[in-house]
Amino acid sequence: MSSNPTAAADDVNPLADPEDRPAPPAVFVIFGASGDLTSRKLMPAIERLAVRRLLPPGFAVVGVARTEMTDDDFRERMRELVEKGGGGGPEARHVWDSFVGAFRYVAGDYDDAATFDRLKEVLDELDRERGTAENRLFYLATPPSTFPTVINGLKDRGLSRSSSENAFSRIVIEKPYGHDLQSALELDRVVHEAFDENQVYRIDHYLGKETVQNVLALRFANATYEPIWNRRYVDHIQVTVAESLGVEHRGSFYEQAGALRDIVQNHVMQVLAMTLMEPPVTFDADGIRDEKVKALKAVEILDAEKVKTQVVRAQYTRGWVGGEEVAGYRDEEGVDPHSTTETYVAMKLKVDNWRWAGVPVYVRTGKRLPKRVTEVALQFHKVPHLPFHLKQVEDLEADSLVLRIQPDEGISFRFGAKIPGQAFRIRSVSMDFFYGAAFLEETPDAYERLLLDALSGDATLFIRSDEVQRAWRIVDPLLQAWENDDVPVAKYEAGTWGPREADELLEADGRRWRRP
Amino acid sequence: MTQTQAAVTPSVPFDTIGSWEADNVTAAQVERALSELRRHEERAALRTSVLTLVIVVGSADEASEHLDVVRHLGARHPSRTLVLVLNDEEETESRLDAAVSVCVVERGGRQIAVEEMVIGCHGPARYHLDSLVLPFTLPNLPVAVWLPSSIPSKGDPLLETADRVVVDTRVVGWQADALSRLHSLIHRVAITDLSWWRLKPWRNLFAGLFEGHMYRPFLRDVHNLEVTGHPGPRHLLAGWVMSRLDLPRSVVHLGDAEHLSIKLVASHEGRRGRFEVVRKGEERVIDASVEIDDGPSFQQKVQIGEEWQSRSLADALGHMGHNETYEAALAAAMGLLG
Repeated sequence: MSSNPTAAADDVNPLADPEDRPAPPAVFVIFGASGDLTSRKLMPAIERLAVRRLLPPGFAVVGVARTEMTDDDFRERMRELVEKGGGGGPEARHVWDSFVGAFRYVAGDYDDAATFDRLKEVLDELDRERGTAENRLFYLATPPSTFPTVINGLKDRGLSRSSSENAFSRIVIEKPYGHDLQSALELDRVVHEAFDENQVYRIDHYLGKETVQNVLALRFANATYEPIWNRRYVDHIQVTVAESLGVEHRGSFYEQAGALRDIVQNHVMQVLAMTLMEPPVTFDADGIRDEKVKALKAVEILDAEKVKTQVVRAQYTRGWVGGEEVAGYRDEEGVDPHSTTETYVAMKLKVDNWRWAGVPVYVRTGKRLPKRVTEVALQFHKVPHLPFHLKQVEDLEADSLVLRIQPDEGISFRFGAKIPGQAFRIRSVSMDFFYGAAFLEETPDAYERLLLDALSGDATLFIRSDEVQRAWRIVDPLLQAWENDDVPVAKYEAGTWGPREADELLEADGRRWRRP
Repeated sequence: MTQTQAAVTPSVPFDTIGSWEADNVTAAQVERALSELRRHEERAALRTSVLTLVIVVGSADEASEHLDVVRHLGARHPSRTLVLVLNDEEETESRLDAAVSVCVVERGGRQIAVEEMVIGCHGPARYHLDSLVLPFTLPNLPVAVWLPSSIPSKGDPLLETADRVVVDTRVVGWQADALSRLHSLIHRVAITDLSWWRLKPWRNLFAGLFEGHMYRPFLRDVHNLEVTGHPGPRHLLAGWVMSRLDLPRSVVHLGDAEHLSIKLVASHEGRRGRFEVVRKGEERVIDASVEIDDGPSFQQKVQIGEEWQSRSLADALGHMGHNETYEAALAAAMGLLG
C-alpha cells in the first residue's frame, strides 16, 4: 500500500500533464439556453471539447431559459444543434451519448425565485449522481438587460458563493458590459454584491483567438522585436478592424450600439492594450492584466474639443462590395432613416508614457469596408540620412511591421531591397510569414479555448473590472460629444476604405492610412 | 509499423513538382540536384520548414511506406525528409544511390513545399550515417531521427546528429532488452516514443478521473494498480502511474491483452474507490469510470482517433525537448521487467 503524502498533495493532480490543462469536474449552467449564442457558439464548443477529451468525466450541463422544455427535449435540441453545425459525426456519437445523459433543463423566469430554487435542486442532484463536486460555471448568454436579474437571483439563492473552500462558483459575462461608463459601473456594483472579482470572467471572444495571443508571443518571446517597439523607432501605429459585412439582420440592435460600442470599446481596446503594454513580469491573469490596464491608463482621454478634431464618425451609403451592390446603412432593415449611429470610427490617440510619448495611434473600424481584416501596423521612422540619389529610392517607403490578426494570420515586414540590374535602385518589398504555413495544427475555436480557461480558473484572457472601466473612460467622451451632436456624421460609400474626413485626419499629420 | 496501418492513413493532396534520380553519386551531387530543383520551381522557393527528419530503414519498400506517413505529416510539420535505406548485402565499396524530389502538400488551400531525399547506402557507408546526415540538415533547425523498428545503440554516431530520436516501443516492445536499451539513451538524446503519444488518451482520461477535491485524495492510498495490454505500452503506462504517484512495485500488476486497460483501487476516509479506463473491443471507444462506495459513480465514453502513424508522429514532433514525465515513466518501467 502506498501512502506518500507529497505525491498527491490535494491542490495538484500528480497525474495531470500541465500542458493539457485538465478541467475539474463541474456543472456548466447556461442562462439563455434556448438562445442564439448557445446554439451558435456554446454548444458546438462544448461538443468539440468533449470529442477532444478535454472535459472531465464529472461534467454536466444545465440549461436555464424561459422556454418550456423537458430534460429530454433539451438534450434532443442540443443534439440537433450540434449535428446542424457539422459536429456529432458517427465517430462522435458514443461520446455524445454518454455525455448528454448529464444534461438537465430548468424552465422559468429569471425574476422568479422558484427558478433558482429548482436550479439549486438540480445542481445538488448532479453533485450526488455525476460527481460534479459542487463546482459551478454560470454563463450569462442572455440579453444584457437581464444580467442584474440573473445575478441577483443567484445571489439570493446562495449560488454565487462557493459551497466550500475546495469548490468554485464562477460567472462568465458576455459583452456588452454596460453601454457607457456609468452603466458599466452600475453593473459592476451588482456583480460585486454577488461575486468577488476573482469569480468573474468577462468574455471578449477576440482574446480567445490564437492570433491575438500571438501578439504576446511575438513581443515577449523574442529578443528582436522588443528593442524597436518604442518611440525611438516607431513613427506611428495603425490599428484596423475592418468588416465587409453590413449590419445584416441586426439593424435594430446596431442602432443602439454603433461601431464605438460594438468594436472599439472592447476588441480594439484589447488589441491596443496588447500592442502597447509593457512586458509582464509573469504570464498569468494578474501579470498580464496589470500591464494592460497600465497601458490603457496611458491612453489620452479626449476632451470635447479634441473629439471634434481627432475623431471621425461615419455611416456607409449605397455601394458595391465584392461585386455586389449593397444598401446604405439608413436603408437597412430596422434602421431609422435619419439615424446618426456610426458604422465607422477613425480616431487619433496619444499614449502618454515613456515608451510611446509622441507616437500617435490611429484606429479605424467600420462595416462595409472592402474586406474583412484586423491588423496592427507599426510604421517605423525613415532612416536619418539616405546615402542614395533621390531617383534611386523613389519607390522606397519607411519600413513597417504588420501583425495580421485575421484572416491570413501572420506577420509582414516591409523593408527596402535593391532591384536586380545594373542600376542601383531600391524599392520596398514585403516579407510575409503565415502562421498557417509553419503551424498546421488545428486552431481551437475562441469559445472552446475560453470555456476551458474559465473551467480551469485561468482568467488571463478575460477582462478585469478595471480594464472594462478604463476602456469605457476612453470612449465615453466620444459618446457624450455625439449625443450632443457636436460631431457631424460623415458618409462613405460601401466598399471603400472610409470617408474622406478619415484620410484628412492622417494627412494633417503628413501620414496616410495603409491599404491592408 | 505494419503495412495495414499505413493503409489506413488519410490521403492528402500531394504533388511532386520536380525530381531527380541517379546511382553511384556523391552527397555533393545530391545537394546540387536539390538546389537546382528548388531554383527552377517557383512553388518550391518559399519554404517554411520547421525541421529536418531523417528516417533509417532496411528496404526500399519500407522507405516508400514511411515516406507516405511523412507526406501526411508534411501538412503539419513542413520539413526536409532524408530517408536512408541501408542495404544489407556485404559490399566492400561504399556506394550511394539517390532519388530527390520537391513536392507540394496542399492543406486549407495553401501549398507547402517539402523536400524528400531517399539515399540507398551500400557498403561501409552504412556505418557512417552521420556523415550523410550532416550535409543535408536545414540550417539551425532541429534534426529528428526516426528509427521505425529499432533502437539505436548507445555508441551509434547517428545520435550525434540528432536533437531527437523517434522510436516506437510498441513495435520493439517484445524484444527483451528494448526498454533497457532505450533507457540507456535518455541521458544522451531527447527521445520521442510514438507509443507514449498513442497512450495519451489513456493518460488524459485516467488523470481526469482524479480532478477535483472529491477524488484526488484517493491517490494518497492506492491498494492496487492493474495495467493490461501489449508489452512496451503496458510497461510505460504502469511506469507512468508508478513514477507520478511514487507507488511501490508490490501494488502493480501487469497482464497481457490485445487492448489496453488501467484499473486502480484506492481508499479515502474508509471508502473504497475504483477508477478505470478500459477499451473493451474493436470499437475505438474507451470507457472511463469512477465508482466510490456510497458516493458518486459515473462513466464517460470517449472516442479515440484512428491510429494514423502520421498523426502520432506529428503530435510527437510538436514537442522537441526532453520529456521528463516520459523519462521518469521509462525509468519506473525498468522495475517492471522480468
